[in-house]
Amino acid sequence: MTRHRDIEAEALDWLVRKADPDWATQDEEQLNTWLGLSYANKAAYWRLEHGWQQAQRIGSLGKWDEPTRSFRNKLKWWHPVAAAASVMLIVGFDAAIPESEPHYAPPQHFQARIGERTTVPLPDGTKVEINTGTAIRVAQSEVRREVWLDTGEAFFEVAKNKDKPFVVHVGKQTVTVLGTKFSVRRDADKVTVKVLEGRVQVDGDGEGGAGAAIIGAGQFAVTRASSTLLGSMPEDRIQDAFTWRNGMLRFDHATLAEVADEFNRYHRKPIEIVSKDLKGMEVGGTFQAQNVDAFVRLLRDAYGLNVNETETAIEISD
Amino acid sequence: MFPILRPQLSFAQRQCISVFISGGQMLDDEHLNSWFRREILPLESLLQGYLRRNWRSSDDIVELRQDVYERVLIGARKGGVPADARAYLFTVARNHLINRAKRAKIVSFEALADLEVFEPLADGQSGERYFIARDELRHAKAGIEKLPPRCREVIRLRKIEGMTAKETAVILGVTTDTINQQLKYGMKALIDHMLGGPGKIVRNIGKIGSRNSEAGQ
Repeated sequence: MTRHRDIEAEALDWLVRKADPDWATQDEEQLNTWLGLSYANKAAYWRLEHGWQQAQRIGSLGKWDEPTRSFRNKLKWWHPVAAAASVMLIVGFDAAIPESEPHYAPPQHFQARIGERTTVPLPDGTKVEINTGTAIRVAQSEVRREVWLDTGEAFFEVAKNKDKPFVVHVGKQTVTVLGTKFSVRRDADKVTVKVLEGRVQVDGDGEGGAGAAIIGAGQFAVTRASSTLLGSMPEDRIQDAFTWRNGMLRFDHATLAEVADEFNRYHRKPIEIVSKDLKGMEVGGTFQAQNVDAFVRLLRDAYGLNVNETETAIEISD
Repeated sequence: MFPILRPQLSFAQRQCISVFISGGQMLDDEHLNSWFRREILPLESLLQGYLRRNWRSSDDIVELRQDVYERVLIGARKGGVPADARAYLFTVARNHLINRAKRAKIVSFEALADLEVFEPLADGQSGERYFIARDELRHAKAGIEKLPPRCREVIRLRKIEGMTAKETAVILGVTTDTINQQLKYGMKALIDHMLGGPGKIVRNIGKIGSRNSEAGQ
């Protein structure tokens, strides 16, 4: 006896699809046709729709003033959405929060827009510098300090407190520290951790593959999917890894494509390398991240490349 | 599969078996839908309780409930909105259980007559839950808290923060298929919870199960 179960699954599909932004008139017509097939279809769809509308009232909530404590899970995981209008601010919890947590303050959102760089002081004395196009969320409780890095790059100068671990969540990755200076950067599914001082522990997603790795000063860890690459930065390059904190980009034997990608993190109008053979061209030097014009001028004047600025891009060709 | 036998009912109680229908014109879908939401769906937990008490196999409850809803809609569509939605719903439910048991050819019709009959409540003694807005929110939140963490997260990002499946997949580091599946589990459980059910995750969405039927054990 599964007739209604199957109908319910279909009805649920419709309900999910209908919420899609690309739901069109012909989809609506198809749904109506399906509903018209039987009252069983109607009963299932109307029931789900009604129940879901009721559940969705939570979405209109500004804040949970009185978190219910009747269930074992005491996450403070709801957050005002209205304030977080920008996509940049949307955060992913990693669902790794222990259930024994006594209390959660509402997480706070911070962001740096494209081209911006800012320092966020935390209540425990930790300083977080966030780079261009970065969104983080911070929650500090009595027993734990947590930051979620959703996009971009951040440098942490963590106040020492061995009783309260400081945890950075990056997608499925976590970086746990007690007191140190390090940066975390997220590029799509790639996560790079670079340590300036102290030691941090980098944990994979716990689903096979990468386990925990501890890296110290001058070392880095690059994680993609479930594999992690550990390495050391040469002595004279360690500071280079953090030059963004001064608004500078430093390149040494980088390719033009890499340099362009890096600049493009700071600007809405991207540099596009039109000629393919230029992409591998070696570039070195120190540039102001904000000053893409100076860099482009250098390409034109020193390397004799053609620069063509359009509405949407700065095109470089030879 | 036997209905559980109930004590003999008084004559007055038996009178409730008749169906109360008023009006007579055909209802359009819009009215039917709003009536269904307003009058019938709030009774869901009562209905499920009734079915559970009067039907041996709890595996069948969801199917029976939807059968009843289907019949309720067809009846109201044809005959107009019943004056007493409650009495109507439970009469349909009872008749359906009788028909199902008859088809199962297991019990005699005499035994079925003793099936629990819906007892009308005195005015103002409504047994179902009516939430004031604040309670509803708390209720909704309790439903969300029951969900497993990953599922809850997907619901939050997709439905509360309005992200696309793709964006959610990127943030959580899983495939969009996983996101969609989790979303459906979570929505179904949450809807169930909002309508007074246990709000548990049921993982067999969309799969053809092998639940037992009136073929009996």
